Amino acid sequence: MNSKKIDKLVSVSFRNNSLDREKVNRIATLLSSADLKKYINSLKLTERKKSLIVSSPTNNQDLKKFEKLFPNKKILFKKDPSLMLGVRVVDNDIVYEFTLRNSLDKIINYIEQNYD
Amino acid sequence: MIDDDKIISELEKKLMTFGGNSKTQNVGEVIKNTDGVIVASGLSKAVMGEKVVFKDGSIGAILNLDEDSASIILLGEASSIKEGDSLKTTGQMLGIDVSEELLGRVIDPLGNPLDDKPKIKRGKNMPLEKIAAGVVEREPVGTPLKTGIKAIDSMIPIGRGQRELIIGDRQTGKTAIAIDTIINQKFNKKPVICIYVAIGQKRSTIAQVIDRLNSEEALSYSVIISASASDPAALQYLAPYSGCAVAEYFLEKGKDVLVVFDDLTKHAWAYRQISLVLRRPAGREAYPGDVFYLHSRLLERSVKLSKENGGGSITALPIIETQANDISAYIPTNVISITDGQIYLQSDLFNAGIRPAINVGQSVSRVGGAAQTSAIKSVSGKLRLELAQYNSLAAFAQFGSELDAATQKQLDRGKRLTEILKQPQFDPLTENLEILSIYAVTSSLMDDIPLESFQRFEKDLHQFAKKRYPNVLETLSAGEKPSEATVKQITKLVEEFKKMFG
Repeated sequence: MNSKKIDKLVSVSFRNNSLDREKVNRIATLLSSADLKKYINSLKLTERKKSLIVSSPTNNQDLKKFEKLFPNKKILFKKDPSLMLGVRVVDNDIVYEFTLRNSLDKIINYIEQNYD
Repeated sequence: MIDDDKIISELEKKLMTFGGNSKTQNVGEVIKNTDGVIVASGLSKAVMGEKVVFKDGSIGAILNLDEDSASIILLGEASSIKEGDSLKTTGQMLGIDVSEELLGRVIDPLGNPLDDKPKIKRGKNMPLEKIAAGVVEREPVGTPLKTGIKAIDSMIPIGRGQRELIIGDRQTGKTAIAIDTIINQKFNKKPVICIYVAIGQKRSTIAQVIDRLNSEEALSYSVIISASASDPAALQYLAPYSGCAVAEYFLEKGKDVLVVFDDLTKHAWAYRQISLVLRRPAGREAYPGDVFYLHSRLLERSVKLSKENGGGSITALPIIETQANDISAYIPTNVISITDGQIYLQSDLFNAGIRPAINVGQSVSRVGGAAQTSAIKSVSGKLRLELAQYNSLAAFAQFGSELDAATQKQLDRGKRLTEILKQPQFDPLTENLEILSIYAVTSSLMDDIPLESFQRFEKDLHQFAKKRYPNVLETLSAGEKPSEATVKQITKLVEEFKKMFG
């Protein structure tokens, strides 16, 4: 099965912007194992495109701001203490870094690259 | 303490960029890893040739951009990357850090040291891929690049900024010519920086080259870039571009640079391997369609810049290995058409003891003639003509038993010319000694010397001239056409030596 057909199956697997379990199960039973793998990957990719992951070291993050900024996205929150300070926003394959961890990593990298 | 302060002040300056710039990152996920070529999803903002960094710190370069995925060549160990690993773009194209400290070093195509010395840091980042200098910035080739090999300097002269191909079967002395040329650069008043790029060679061979350059004191002005047969194809593919990038650093400083690509046949093999793994359509001999562009864009970076642009030059000596002397194969014909001439080495000449085994008839230099000095031009014209006559007569002489005196004389002269052009390896000569040797034969001064004593006679003649007639050698090294008085002095020198030669 070509990628266009897989994409079509993925698009019909959604109802009201979320996955329809019944449809997905029915499609999955009809696909060969190779096509099923392609279908799952495509589903993952679509799901990722529809959602926005906000990571922060603390729980008190105001997600409403992000809902305003990204109105068509499903906002997911992840607590990540390793970020130290600030927030990281992952929009599919674009990562917005506003964290102390990232700045420190850059400083370490700069020193490693330029000094013995 | 001063150093510490400097480091801190540099960091303070950079602090704004650490926090301020590049807040956005473009990330992706590894879908599959096939023999060093990685297919990744995401990376929607990536551009062709961009450097990417994997989770474990290894780097790669983007070579294919598809609708939903990107293909990346991995520049390092492939086994550690697995499906699902994350990677990110860097916004940078592949480059190499270059500084003067690189001279005398052995590095890989990414600038990592291979000689147990520290990595070069704080150098200028030179891009591996760069569009060659335009027509306006260039000027015609006009300065000679001496190889120290009589046959080449007299008949197939190479100019600074030229691309001269060295082509021949295995074990015919291709690398030897390139190494001799590097060694000969130590005699130059204006130093020529030499870069030796080893592509897909045995590590033992590379070690031998380094050892030889070191023992001849040629390493101090040379850089060795090594991508051996055991390195990934991606590194072998990048090696010549890396050599060019290093050369361009010195070019920007107005210096003359010589780059040896040893060899481009293996470079084409490495690119074929990558292209097949990338599933690009295969053409003749399974090479991809852009294999010509692969070498043309590389060799086009050889240049002689005009004085307004610094006056530097990059001379390229690409090497191609043929199979059974077949120069009409795909890669040899491509590179022959790109370059400004070729030095064609033949195995039967090599086996007949004619070393360097240059086939004078098929070797040409399209632009080097303009770069030849008047001094060597004055002796080489006659040499080429007489050798051509000898080669055509020698073919006929095989059939006939009786030859007239004139033909016999020409054949005899040809044999002598062939003999004088023989030269041991790693023994390049300065131009004045080359002129002295060639003149001695072409002016019939050595007609009474038996052929088997030629090599010894020549060597002793050079010693004699250096001791007794240094002023003649000095006049010859000026590059001017020898005056009648100089010619008389040379004749006197040879005649005097002949009396002593037993």
